[in-house]
Amino acid sequence: MFLALNEIKKNKLRFTLIIGVLMLVSYLVFFLSGLATGLENLNRESVDKWKATAIILTEESDKSMYQSSLAIEDVNEIDAEEIAVIGQINAVAGNGDSKTNVSIFGINKDEFIMPKVTEGEVFVDDNEVIASDALKEDGFKVGDELHLSSSGEVLKIVGFTDNARFNAAPVLYGDLATFHRVKFGEAAEANKESINGIVVRADELTAITKNDSLESIEIETFIRNLPGYTEQNLTLNFMIYFLFGISAVIVAIFLYVLTVQKISMFGVMKAQGISNSYLSRSVIAQTFILAAIGVAVGFVLTLITAAFLPSAVPVAFDLVTMLIYGLVLIVVAILGAVFSVLTIVRIDPLKAIGG
Amino acid sequence: MAVLELKQVKKTFGSGHKEIEAMKVTDFSADRGELIAIIGPSGSGKSTFLTIVGGLLTPTSGAVIINDKNLADLNEKERSKIRLKEIGFILQASNLIPFLTVANQLKLLDQVKKDNMTKKQLEELYEDLGIGDLRTKYPADLSGGERQRVAIAKALYSNPSIILADEPTASLDSDRAYEVMELLKNETKNKNTTTIVVTHDIRLVGYCDKVYKMTDGVLVQEK
Ligand SMILES: Nc1ncnc2c1ncn2[C@@H]1O[C@H](COP(=O)(O)OP(=O)(O)O)[C@@H](O)[C@H]1O
Ligand SMILES: [Mg+2]
Repeated sequence: MFLALNEIKKNKLRFTLIIGVLMLVSYLVFFLSGLATGLENLNRESVDKWKATAIILTEESDKSMYQSSLAIEDVNEIDAEEIAVIGQINAVAGNGDSKTNVSIFGINKDEFIMPKVTEGEVFVDDNEVIASDALKEDGFKVGDELHLSSSGEVLKIVGFTDNARFNAAPVLYGDLATFHRVKFGEAAEANKESINGIVVRADELTAITKNDSLESIEIETFIRNLPGYTEQNLTLNFMIYFLFGISAVIVAIFLYVLTVQKISMFGVMKAQGISNSYLSRSVIAQTFILAAIGVAVGFVLTLITAAFLPSAVPVAFDLVTMLIYGLVLIVVAILGAVFSVLTIVRIDPLKAIGG
Repeated sequence: MAVLELKQVKKTFGSGHKEIEAMKVTDFSADRGELIAIIGPSGSGKSTFLTIVGGLLTPTSGAVIINDKNLADLNEKERSKIRLKEIGFILQASNLIPFLTVANQLKLLDQVKKDNMTKKQLEELYEDLGIGDLRTKYPADLSGGERQRVAIAKALYSNPSIILADEPTASLDSDRAYEVMELLKNETKNKNTTTIVVTHDIRLVGYCDKVYKMTDGVLVQEK
């Protein structure tokens, strides 16, 4: 530490540059991870909110809720602690001023996937819905009448709920009858038994149903199969992992150049009898200090940026993930210092002192 | 009892017709309290001798024994420990660490070994070398002579039992050079250490107990 700190103190500009680079890399990593989490939430927060074990869809739907079509009576073939039916359809909803994609969930009020209302009232009458509070930012408010693209029905927002987006669209919760009128129009009465899936809480996934035409899909699997979800995650995570590699290379190059400049100095210390392990620890300690400062500043910058971002940018910061990524960055930087350590170990003190 | 002994030590560089016998077969020994000068022209093998004695250069044949330990029996890590504990190097190119102040050059030794000089001894050393006012300065801000004196302080600070100096007075004026020799002599006598000074400055040999002359790799005692 003695050597490491004194060197940093003497060569502030040089080390500020390294810290700056590490800061930018960690800023980017944190931001991308925030974006990944934000985009994940955009897709899954309404599903996470169910705190469910699994969803039952028809086998032939291939894990797509939209493609799955069941009858309410299928519930009788399900064995689980808690059961909730769900009908789902996508639509474009407009209140006269603005239009937006929505996902309409038809549910039974008294079942467990019914969300808590954070503003306004619960739906009671025909065509009343609770809306995702994400819609508030688009100018929607309680009392708005919503005209739908694909249906003659007019829905009315009577309340809002939080964390209610599904596959990137804000959710409107209404009762099953409302859902049936939106989906089937004139034929609503004839299809009043039709639902898309059954959401369950259960201890054991395998024992939920014996019906071969139904498939119990674990919630995480269901989410991974949402259109675009896995592709998006892979892309962002790939970028993050790539950045880890880049930061290792940057640190390795920087430190290596610095070490090469100091070869004769290390040689003198080795001639004096200062051990390889002391010198190596010094380089590692220095890297740790630089990386820790860089990552910490990057972290703070990320939080500051997040505070000033328009809410339309889908970032959400998960502290645990950020902490892990921060640690990985520091570890990766230290791996980058290993090159320099190897160089130091190989220095011949005799050559360095020009004996 | 000899602190330092060379038995039938020889060093050749290269091989075939390019072979250079930098040091012919040599026997040498030094006792506690001895200040020894090695003189000789450039290229005669003085530095080769000094780096072999200091355990930095492995001889082609023969044994180097420091405080009863044969260096050939030790690995690099153990030799490095001996250099740290037993030997104080004062090198030709007064190699200081560019990012450490004068005071910290010495403090570095506190980080890696015990039994260095006390505060009081250190103050005296600063005084004797005339570098007390330079403590907070970096090597780049010092003159050649000042740097050389700091290098000497660095070598003495660790209380070595053997001090090896390669042209320690090369960048000093005559008065300073005499002062430095005086200092090395006192250090040798007071602490009962062994000091070997390589020099081509004949005027300095008056301070020394023994004088050896190196000519074409052959070491001959003159005094
Ligand atoms: N690493 C080396 N490789 C080859 N020859 C060397 C090496 N070091 C020293 N020599 C040769 O050994 C001889 C003695 O060198 P040196 O001990 O440095 O002399 P001095 O210090 O008396 O000037 C010279 O001829 C020098 O060229
Ligand atoms: Mg020489």
